[in-house]
Amino acid sequence: MRIRLSLIIEVCKNLNMVLASPKIMDKQEILNAIRDSLVNLDFDKSKEYTEKALEVGIDPQEIILKSVAEGMEIVGRKFEASEYFLSELIVAGEIGKEITKILEPKLKGVEVKKAGKVVIGTVRGDLHDIGKNIVAMMLEASEFKVVDLGADVAPEAFVDAVKRERPNVVAMSALLTVTMVEMKNVIDMLKAANVRNAVKVIIGGAAVTDEYAKSIGADGYGANAVEGVRICRQWIK
Amino acid sequence: MKFDSVKLGPDQLSFGFASHPLRYGLNLEVGKGFVVPEIKYFPRVGRDLKEEYKAITDGVLKRAVGLGVERLQLETELTYVEMEVPGLAGEIVRLQKDLMERYAQEYGVSLGFRVTVADVRDFGKPKHDEQAFSKMLQTFEDVSSNGADVLSIESEGGKELFNYAVIRQDLLGIVCSLGYLAAYDMKKLWKEIVHIAKNKNILAGGDSACAFGNTSMRLAGGLRDNVIAHSLAAIVRGMSASRSLVAYEEGAVGPGKDCAYENVIIKAITGYPMSMEGKTSACAHSSLVGNVIAAACDLWSNEQVENIKLFGGYGPEVFLEVLHYDTKIMNGAIKSGRSLLFREILIDSDKYLDPQAYVLSPEVACLVADTIVRERDTLSRTISAGAKVANLLADEKELVLGKGERRFLEAARGRLDDIYGAPQRKVEEALKEYERKVEKLKVRDYLEV
Repeated sequence: MRIRLSLIIEVCKNLNMVLASPKIMDKQEILNAIRDSLVNLDFDKSKEYTEKALEVGIDPQEIILKSVAEGMEIVGRKFEASEYFLSELIVAGEIGKEITKILEPKLKGVEVKKAGKVVIGTVRGDLHDIGKNIVAMMLEASEFKVVDLGADVAPEAFVDAVKRERPNVVAMSALLTVTMVEMKNVIDMLKAANVRNAVKVIIGGAAVTDEYAKSIGADGYGANAVEGVRICRQWIK
Repeated sequence: MKFDSVKLGPDQLSFGFASHPLRYGLNLEVGKGFVVPEIKYFPRVGRDLKEEYKAITDGVLKRAVGLGVERLQLETELTYVEMEVPGLAGEIVRLQKDLMERYAQEYGVSLGFRVTVADVRDFGKPKHDEQAFSKMLQTFEDVSSNGADVLSIESEGGKELFNYAVIRQDLLGIVCSLGYLAAYDMKKLWKEIVHIAKNKNILAGGDSACAFGNTSMRLAGGLRDNVIAHSLAAIVRGMSASRSLVAYEEGAVGPGKDCAYENVIIKAITGYPMSMEGKTSACAHSSLVGNVIAAACDLWSNEQVENIKLFGGYGPEVFLEVLHYDTKIMNGAIKSGRSLLFREILIDSDKYLDPQAYVLSPEVACLVADTIVRERDTLSRTISAGAKVANLLADEKELVLGKGERRFLEAARGRLDDIYGAPQRKVEEALKEYERKVEKLKVRDYLEV
């Protein structure tokens, strides 16, 4: 009996199939299962199937392309069709990131290219960070490297981050009219530090407008997270 | 005081009437058969703050007298700017109250003055930013000594976790935030506020779950927005009532703060008068509940308007006029014995437009209130309130819900049922995990009361 079972396993392997409880899955099924678990926002299943995929020797790059990228595309389409919420797009992005983390050790030597780098923060005096967090997460889901400075960020901290991180974009958020003036302070200090021309500056938040962005010398204004990310993508192109 | 029964039923939960009317300030009564306008404003950026508040107060009171307003409440909502300079908040309040006293004396207008202190704590700092907490309490003391009649706050305990959870539609995180962390923080904070108010013989007005319920409302947005499920925003609204109720259990007596849309549920439970805001707060933010929320108000507010010049005067003066006419209709309906009819019109105009409006209609609010008082503690109340809202929404045939909303509701019902099975254990286990994920979350600091 033992011999017969091991024989079956060997045959399955040869056929590029694996034993997965409760049923045997082939390579395509595993890739689909990872994709579908991402689409269904099921973190545990996506992790389980990703580990299984590595166990049976599926190429990590193929997992990224066929499962993660395809899954994210499906989620994106569902969002556009108002079937999914933006929050679900964010969760899917996080699951995608977790899958990539599992794959990372196997991806050694293969460069995962980022779209660009963004330094982001809510300006000094303002503790409201939810809008900023949404933008940061959506930027990450769009393959940006994000350096999140948090909330209540002093202008000096933005300047230091620009010098240190050399980002493509500085993104600032403010909910309050009393704090939005800090955005101009940041831009003035970037100029004084001779780094203003090295970055694009985008602002957003309930307190600010396109007109205000222009008046303080920002390069862009994002009325919402989706628009903010779109503008950043356009700049990096 | 533990609330274990509902004070007002659906037919009694109506605008202008509270079980426990209040009299305070300069001869102002609320909840006694009429609705009082509550005007709220904020200064222009870069102006001298004292001059700006003086001009706002004078402008508003002049307009009130010109319109024949008989009763009015002013609300000054402080920000970190006014609280940065020691003594400044008290000076502003004194200056405003002096003007109010003059108008009350000269024109016989009845006036009340609410002061809301900003929650300036950074919860990521050790012991939840003790220095900021002391500053908040000192500001409460200062404004109480200088003429505030009602004390309020939009406290933010649990917000660091809530922000993480709500954008992921994570109901367990929301329960941990509202039903556990916020409850601990509210208890600690409101003990102090009530103590200050009692010492100064003024009113501890109540807290607003603005940072939770209104954040969700803003994220849900309009009918065509889909950042988060509108059903989630409605569930959060129901849950936030159990959180805000803690202030009243600690001794607050109202009038509850305007932006606490959960006040409909709180009023049903406590019978205390409540301020509310809706269509006339469109100057501050949009909502899908502009009329229905007026159905049970005792004060009617504009949320907040900047002191900018409009064609019809400065912002606060213009919005006072709008509030005045809003309340005139309601008070006219009461006087002529048609208040319930008018209330039905307000409810019907919004109720089935969106889950957020549905949950705030008095009939539904009373069902949620009843669910809350049946539970013993804030955590169980929070979960049960959420589950009740989810069940009511899912079963309501007249609500038109899209595929995404239905899918979310189905999942939410299962999730909340699961949490309800072992709330304490699930929350405590989950918080350990959230502490790893949410940088600023320090659970231990909440528990050290």
